[in-house]
This record gives sequence, structure tokens and C-alpha cells, in this order.
Amino acid sequence: MSSLARPRAILKWLARATSRHRRTFRITGNNLNYTAVALAFMLDAPAAGILLAIMGVVVLLPLSSDPLNAVPRTRMRIWPLENGERRFLRIVSPWLNPMTWVVVALALWRRVSLGIVLLAAGVLATGFLTSARAGGGRSPWRSIPSFPGALNQLIRKNLREMLSTLDFFCGALISLTALMWRIAGLLPSDALFPLTAITMLAISTCALTLFGLDGEAGLTRYRLLPVRGWQILIAKDAAYLAMALVLALPLSLTGALGAALIALAVGHKASVTPQAQSRWRFQTGPSFGDAIAQIVPMTMAGAAVVYTSRFVLLLCAALWACSLWWFGREIDVAGVSFRQGR
Amino acid sequence: MISCRDLTRRFGQFTAVDSISFEVAKGAICAVLGPNGAGTSTTVAMLTGLLAPTSGEATVCGVNVLADPVALKRRIGVLPEDLALFDDLTVEEHLELTGDIYGLGADTTRERMERLLAVLGLAPGRRTFARSCSHGMRKKTAFAMALLPNPEALFLDEPFEAVDPVTSSVMADILRKAAARGVTVFLTSHILPTARRIADQFIIIRGGRIVLNSASSELSRPLEDLYFDLAEAPVSDELEWLGEAR
Repeated sequence: MSSLARPRAILKWLARATSRHRRTFRITGNNLNYTAVALAFMLDAPAAGILLAIMGVVVLLPLSSDPLNAVPRTRMRIWPLENGERRFLRIVSPWLNPMTWVVVALALWRRVSLGIVLLAAGVLATGFLTSARAGGGRSPWRSIPSFPGALNQLIRKNLREMLSTLDFFCGALISLTALMWRIAGLLPSDALFPLTAITMLAISTCALTLFGLDGEAGLTRYRLLPVRGWQILIAKDAAYLAMALVLALPLSLTGALGAALIALAVGHKASVTPQAQSRWRFQTGPSFGDAIAQIVPMTMAGAAVVYTSRFVLLLCAALWACSLWWFGREIDVAGVSFRQGR
Repeated sequence: MISCRDLTRRFGQFTAVDSISFEVAKGAICAVLGPNGAGTSTTVAMLTGLLAPTSGEATVCGVNVLADPVALKRRIGVLPEDLALFDDLTVEEHLELTGDIYGLGADTTRERMERLLAVLGLAPGRRTFARSCSHGMRKKTAFAMALLPNPEALFLDEPFEAVDPVTSSVMADILRKAAARGVTVFLTSHILPTARRIADQFIIIRGGRIVLNSASSELSRPLEDLYFDLAEAPVSDELEWLGEAR
């Protein structure tokens, strides 16, 4: 076998794996993307562009991962490769990531400032290094606070799941921006609710896919636990509300609570027949119809709480409780199972 | 303690479990043996409420499996085929979750958890997330979760697979002592020597049907011989390329 035949064979399969990996970064089924498309149709291109730009910024880091990570470490050690072949793979494999080519293109494009090039290179390097260190089981969310009651560990687990979605990071980016504007005194009061609504929209797909990150094994455990369906749902909802309220701290808390309650009330239906989701990706809702059925009422509910009366929150809570009871019964009867043909 | 009659499960045209009936007495260890795909895991899934039977009925600890699944789950411990662990919880958080859900109280949970972690060799990795655990650690965690709430019956799907010999021996010892105190154990296994060592009753399933149901004291021949005759005989083949000059 020629000296480069083995690395070439590995690179060929690595290219296929990298291409598949890239395709997992789809944003098409996410509520924020649907909102951007709707805004574009309403001829509000700048607003649509901002939403897509937020998603783009958030996706850059995981997209910059090291392609060589697609090969399991043990497999790499088992393969009969010479040191020179391993070095060749190390040097060539980064070029399988299109982000590398983007950074090079930016560097060669004279109209782009050095600062932008360095920023892009920094993001790429960070993505490379963090992906190389990932897989050791370290979780950035190990220290989640405890919650009262028997569902404590379930809520913590659910919160860790939700915090490892890109939806959360979109929400966090908007929320942090709003916080900085508020501190600088640049946030007008009439911008408070629109920003709250966008933050809640950013995480709303999570309410449509509450069981998406549990995996088959997680769903088996739910079937084994001696608890009612509504208790399983309430552990999910508590985690979602905790995330929503933390993100809404610099914004309108009551508006966020109203919107989040309605997002959950609508989302329970899609959640009990979930599609499997992936960590560090945007969550994908079941359909455009489900997204619209959630986005419109949750935004209206949040607006009603902020602009009419806080008592609307009671109505939101009542609707959420009805949904909890109804779909909790559904879990008791049929359990939670992934959709066929996912 | 465990009783089923004409229990059947079909998946479309395929019959995974075909009208099986048997009883397991309180405090007995029943080992269900069979080749892959024979229907052993499907039987465990039906008896624990994980899977509804197509027909037939089953009673566990006096509870009809279909009629009151929550009451059933409060009284049994299960080690399912896929272990049913959450990626985002650590080993000890899984045990705390079990204690909370079964209403054990913090002190009882803590005390039992420490003993289980120690006896199963899980203590050094107690703060490891399930997704980062070895398969053996994951299995031991799921086994500990089954034992923690003091169940009346244990349903264990392949408990000895992928665990080291010492842990396997410890698990077998725990099961024997639990059975002596009246806990009924229903397990599936491909590891015949361990099953032979601990079980009081053997059920061999082939193609979804029971081909042997016998007390261990009444076996007519060694278990391995019976298994190869009744369940599946080993196939011998010469893989002639092995050892050839390359």
C-alpha cells in the first residue's frame, strides 16, 4: 500500500461523515427561522436578517468543530497508521471543514478588516479546540441548582437538556444584548416587550420537543417510573419555565411568563409524540402548522399580559393547567414514544 | 408471585411471544434463557408494563399488569434491556431520583445509595454522567436503581452481561440473599454458568414459545446440554481465510 493510500481512504470517509455532520445543522424547522421567513414575507427584510444573523452567530461555534473528531479516538489508535500518515491526516483534515475555507477567503479578501478575519479565525480555533476536548463527558451544566420536591432530579436533568440546545444560546444572546442596552440606558421602554417576545420565540421550539433529547432509554425510564403523566410533564415544564424566566430577567418577566405558559400549553400536543433531537443543534418542530399554532397565541398572550392586564396571566395559567391534565392523561394511557420514520 | 397465562405479543405479522404460560413462586429466582430474538426481553417488557401484550394476562405481586401499571411499578424493580438511564444525570443523581420518586426520604436514600455504590464498585465514578460511563457502569447503575426502593419482585434483563467477574459474583450474591428474604427474581441471561449457579427455576424460550419450564433440581441433564438441544445448537464453520499467508 502506498504511503498516502491509507490517509486518503480515511479522508474519503471523513469527508462523507463531515458532510453528514454539516447537514445536522438545519434551521428549517425552528420557530425563529419560521418567524424570520414570515417577517421576510411581510417585507421586513432587516428584522428577518437580524433573526437569521443571530442564528448564524450561534451556529458558528459548533460548525467549526474538528473533522477528525468523526473518527472515534480508539479506532484511530487501532488503525495501522505510521506517524507520518497521522501527521498528514492532522494537516489535511481541517480543510474538510468549510469554515476553514471561509476564514481563508476572508483573509484574502482585501475589503475585510483584519479584526473580522481574526474574529473568524478565533471562532474557528475555539470550535476546533472545544470539539477536540468534548466527548470526555464534561458537562458545562453540572452545577444546576436543586429544586424542591420529588421531581428535583428530573427537573435538573430536563434543564441540562434544554441548556444544551442552540435555541437557548440564541435566547441568551438576545437577552444579554438587552441587558447591556439596559445598563447603558439605550433600551427604550417600548422595545422591552418586542425583545421579550423574540427571546421567548427563540426558545419556543424546545416547548414543542420536550422529550426530544431523552432518547429511547430515557423514554423507557419514564415508562418504569411510578409517577403520573402530568408529573412527568410538570418536570419538563418547570425546567422550561426556569430557563425562560432567567432569560427574561433583563426584559419583561410577566410578558415572558405569559408567553412561556402558552408555548407549553400548545407544545404539549407535539411533545408527547416527539421527534428525536440532537444536542448542540437547533431544535426542530414537527411542522410549520404546529409552529404557527404556537407562535401566534404565545406572542398574543405575552402582549396581552404586558399591554392590558396582568390578570391575563391567570388565564394563561389556567390554559396551561388544562393542557397539562389532558396530555398527562395521554401519557398515562399511551406513554411517550418517538414518531415512526424519524 | 408472578403468573401469566397465554401471554402473546405480535409485531405485525411477527409473533415475538406466542401464548406462554408459567408461574414463579415468591422468593424464587427464575432464569429465562433463549437465543437472541427468542422473545425473552419481550416477555420481561410485558411483565413490567413496558409493553402491552397482544393477548393473554399477567399478574405480578397480585397486581394485574394491565389494570394498574402505577401500582405495579411501585412494587417492582426493573433492569431493562436498554438500561433506561438519562444522559444528563450522574450515577448518584440517578439513585437520588429513584429515592425521591419512590418516596424513600433523604436519609434512607442516602444510606442505601452509599451501600449500593460501595458494594457495586460505583463509588469512584459516582459523579460521572451516564453518557460518559462504561457499559458496565451503566448496567450497575441501572441494577442499583432497581434495588434501591426495596422491590417485592425484580425483573432483570441480562444483568450479568458486560460486567466484570467480581461484580457479576457480587450481583449474584445480592440476588440470592434477596431471594432468601422473599424477593422474587425474574431474569434473562445468556451466561449459562451464572444462571445455573443462582436460579431455582429455568424457562427456555425458542421462537417465542416455552420449550422447557423446570425447577433446577429437576433438570434431567446439565443445563448447557439442554440449552443446545432445545434452544439452539452451535454452528461450526471453517473460516478458511484465517491463518492463510497474506
